[in-house]
Amino acid sequence: MKKVLALVLALCMVFALCACSVSTSAPKAEEETAAPTEITLWTYPIGGWGTQETVDALMAAFEADTGIKVTVEYLTYADGDDKVNTAIEGNAAPDLIMEGPERLVANWGAKGKMVNIADLFDDTDKKEINPAALAACFADDATAYEYPLVMTAHCMAINKTVFEAADAMQYIDEATHTWKSVEDFEKAIAAVYEHTGAQVGAVYCVGQGGDQGTRALVNNLCGGTFTNPEHTEYTWGSEENIAALKKLYDNPAIAFDSGIAGGDEIALFYNGTLNVAFCWNIAQQLNPNTANTGAAKTASGDDIMFLAFPADGAAKLQGGIWGFGIFDNGDAARIEAAKTFIKYFCDSAKTADAVKAANYFAVRDTAEGADLSTIWADNDIMAEYNVLMPLLGDYYQVTTGWAEARTAWWNMLQAVGASDGSVEAISAAVDQYVNQANGK
Amino acid sequence: MNTNRLDANAKKKKAYSIFSAVVVIILAILFTFPLYWIITGSFKTGAEINSTVPVWFPSEWDMGNYQRLMTKRTAPLFDMNIPLISVSAFGYTLNLGGLTITGPTVPAAIRWLINTVFMSVGSMLITCLTAAMAGYVLAKKRFWGKTIIFSLVVCAMALPKQVILIPLLREMSALNLYDTIWAVIFPIVGWPFGVFLLKQFAEGIPTEMVEACRIDGAGEWRTFTDVMFPMIKPGVGACAIFTFINSWNDYFMQLIMLTSNKNLTISLGIATMQGESSTDYGLLMAGAALASVPIIIVFLIFQKYFTKGITMGAVKG
Amino acid sequence: MSTKKISISQKSRRLMIRETTTSYLFLLPFLIFFVMFVVYPMFMCVYTSFFDATMGREDIFIGFDNYKTLFNDEVFWVALKNTLIIVIVSVPVTCAFSLWVASAISKMHVAATSAFRCIFYLPVVTGSVAVTMVWKWMYNNYYGIFNYLGNKTGLLEQNINWLGDERYALGCIILILLTTSVGQPIVLYVSALDNVDKSLVEAAEVDGATELQAFWKIKWPQMMPTTLYILVITTINSFQCFALIQLLTLGGPNNSTMTIMYYIYYNAFKLYKYGYGNAMGVILAIIIAILSAVQFKMGQEK
Repeated sequence: MKKVLALVLALCMVFALCACSVSTSAPKAEEETAAPTEITLWTYPIGGWGTQETVDALMAAFEADTGIKVTVEYLTYADGDDKVNTAIEGNAAPDLIMEGPERLVANWGAKGKMVNIADLFDDTDKKEINPAALAACFADDATAYEYPLVMTAHCMAINKTVFEAADAMQYIDEATHTWKSVEDFEKAIAAVYEHTGAQVGAVYCVGQGGDQGTRALVNNLCGGTFTNPEHTEYTWGSEENIAALKKLYDNPAIAFDSGIAGGDEIALFYNGTLNVAFCWNIAQQLNPNTANTGAAKTASGDDIMFLAFPADGAAKLQGGIWGFGIFDNGDAARIEAAKTFIKYFCDSAKTADAVKAANYFAVRDTAEGADLSTIWADNDIMAEYNVLMPLLGDYYQVTTGWAEARTAWWNMLQAVGASDGSVEAISAAVDQYVNQANGK
Repeated sequence: MNTNRLDANAKKKKAYSIFSAVVVIILAILFTFPLYWIITGSFKTGAEINSTVPVWFPSEWDMGNYQRLMTKRTAPLFDMNIPLISVSAFGYTLNLGGLTITGPTVPAAIRWLINTVFMSVGSMLITCLTAAMAGYVLAKKRFWGKTIIFSLVVCAMALPKQVILIPLLREMSALNLYDTIWAVIFPIVGWPFGVFLLKQFAEGIPTEMVEACRIDGAGEWRTFTDVMFPMIKPGVGACAIFTFINSWNDYFMQLIMLTSNKNLTISLGIATMQGESSTDYGLLMAGAALASVPIIIVFLIFQKYFTKGITMGAVKG
Repeated sequence: MSTKKISISQKSRRLMIRETTTSYLFLLPFLIFFVMFVVYPMFMCVYTSFFDATMGREDIFIGFDNYKTLFNDEVFWVALKNTLIIVIVSVPVTCAFSLWVASAISKMHVAATSAFRCIFYLPVVTGSVAVTMVWKWMYNNYYGIFNYLGNKTGLLEQNINWLGDERYALGCIILILLTTSVGQPIVLYVSALDNVDKSLVEAAEVDGATELQAFWKIKWPQMMPTTLYILVITTINSFQCFALIQLLTLGGPNNSTMTIMYYIYYNAFKLYKYGYGNAMGVILAIIIAILSAVQFKMGQEK
């Protein structure tokens, strides 16, 4: 017994030494030996970039071509930010991170944690990349914290089979994937509500995951905006937005649900409990659900149709831009390797693979001569989704205080949901949180 | 008349004991239900999970959830990094190359389970050893600074760990321990409950016995290992059980300190799965079953020791 | 005479030095961990609470500003209130519930006693995350089992959004907390009841005392130390309730389940207010210290 105990203890100590050495030795080792550099990449679930199988294949190809080994960690939207924040505080931030400018530029970049990669953009790149995406990646003229890869427009979705049964498809322009008007949206929801006798949609408000959906819903409904055009102030306290919140509150078929998050809403939509989903984009449209009934189907096999958010006039869709940024870990060799990585996946003949993996649209039509405009030619759903891309609205996620604003947003939705629904109560809740977002 | 009253009393007593037995049984069913729901849920298909009418028992035992759990993420079974050793002398530098040993790739859930066991057992062993040594001298020795140390121990015991999370995180990163299992183990070991407990136990051992051993010429260390340790063994057992359960359940420290997929514990792993783009209760239940069933089996096997340990901890603590 | 005295005191001095050295050698392993990972962070916590510390720049000394902000922070007061509600509800309920269950099962057959003891301890060993996940599913507004049973038995007229409704959310959290915290007290009470002096109880019964009287007059005082211990551990436990909030509600809806523990985390890792979070930690530690002192005092008086 004693011997066993001693052995176990000894083993523990050995393990301890080894484990400690992992972190202590790692950076030094690289400085001394120019041998194969290892870098780390953390990705959010951006289409296939959140699936280990897909990413492993890409990384294997990258290692074969460049000799750089990439260790990948997968984050989720529910706790990914917390993880990166603790890692930064713990001096263990990854070399590369894949997400959008709202985090890379407006948050971590603004806090001085990212490497300026403006030198990666040459004049051709600047011409090729979609101007909106390019602008979002630059903090100022000479400072870029992100190299964009793909973009999309976030949208909503309906259970087409149920809508047809409820005779609600007449309110939808199927060719352009838009609602004919806000009134038609309300009529359609009412028709489905009458048909099923159950709640149709939910304004989910636990946490910030998927909040682009609730933001776009509220902003479009009465023509409000989330920030001013200069991106200096949050304007979701405007009358239009309050009116929109009131409309949603008063709609008997749509509930403010402080018990579910964006991911729960999608699960409920897949299983047929809800018949509209506000947290949707092309990646969900392409991914089969867990019941494996196929892409663009619910668990029971109903058809899913993606739609722009209801608006009078052209809807302004919330854009999603994703790319890579480099955390400043003070190691020149690793930063160099990370830049090689970005060049390889975002601006080379290999970019097509990276874009395809993401299931989104490339931010450019050509990269170093390679044609990217036709990579989705054989994919009907993607081709169809293209109709939404012109509706892309202002990319306001780079406004100062974005992290605070996001947190304030879902807290505000909860407060509205818990209020008595009077205009005064709603505007009181909105005012309180919009002031918090604006740092007042 | 007197017997009548006694009779009535006995009847009442009997009725009450039947009533209480029934209530306890109902409560017991309610208490086991979540576990039952985890285990059956992990075998249900998506449709059964999401059905508004609960499926009390899976119609067929579907392994899909476990399949997804096992294929979703992979991680090396173990990995060790032997640091680069470089020796410099007389202007020459000898590099004994750094070496990383990586185990075969397995489903990440397996690695998480291994990490969890390693963390719990590791903190348990180290805590027992350090706490027994410290408890012994705090109980049996007179030395300068004893009162200060002991009052610090008592004060720290009531402090919730979460309070110190921010400084602790900064410290771990300065020590290069962030995102290693040790960052979770060390604060548990530093937690003074074990010391307090074992000090109480050691106080119950007659001082004469310790002194007799010293007079026989045994060294301090021998006295500790041969006399003291065997006598406070029950206390060490209680300390072991407390530390084990605490570290197994210590979600908070793990959440703050661990980030890499390969370093997660099973609780943290399941919690992470919750945040996937669409909530999948089947997958979550499979993870929960994997996290809880092993420890429940351990608990049932060592049930007697658990109860004994808990009671003893309380009597002395 | 005097020389002898000096030599004795010198001797005892030497002995004391030796004892101190060996004692510290024994203490060393523990002290390393204790000082590095408990005492030092505790000190840093207080120190940093006087700074405006955030990500990406040096800390700025601001004196008591964090504490001033704290007193004007409505959410902090809500969080404090919720934390105290959790403690005030869960501690007595846990004690009463476990005492009743323990007294009911301790009268049963040995095998039954140990079986029930196991069952009530199960939620503790299941692990907080696993337990939380299954409860989240059971509470689900749309297909959770509670709403189904409620509707089926006619107790509910319509589905209740358990975790999404500010009237119920905190109660739901407390319920889960209760199921995971009665395990240990039950084990303790069963053994305490076993150890009660049986002859005293019998004597009282012969004197015509009812069972209830015998319980309050004889058993209860004897179990006082156990009760006190249970009070202390459940109090600490209830203060530390974090996983439930973080996994279920994130402090919502409308801050109705916001606890100090979660608010510290929220400020530190969502809003990057490290100094502010530390100030909150200091206040919480003070509150707990006062509470523990009161409980300890109560125990001594008894």
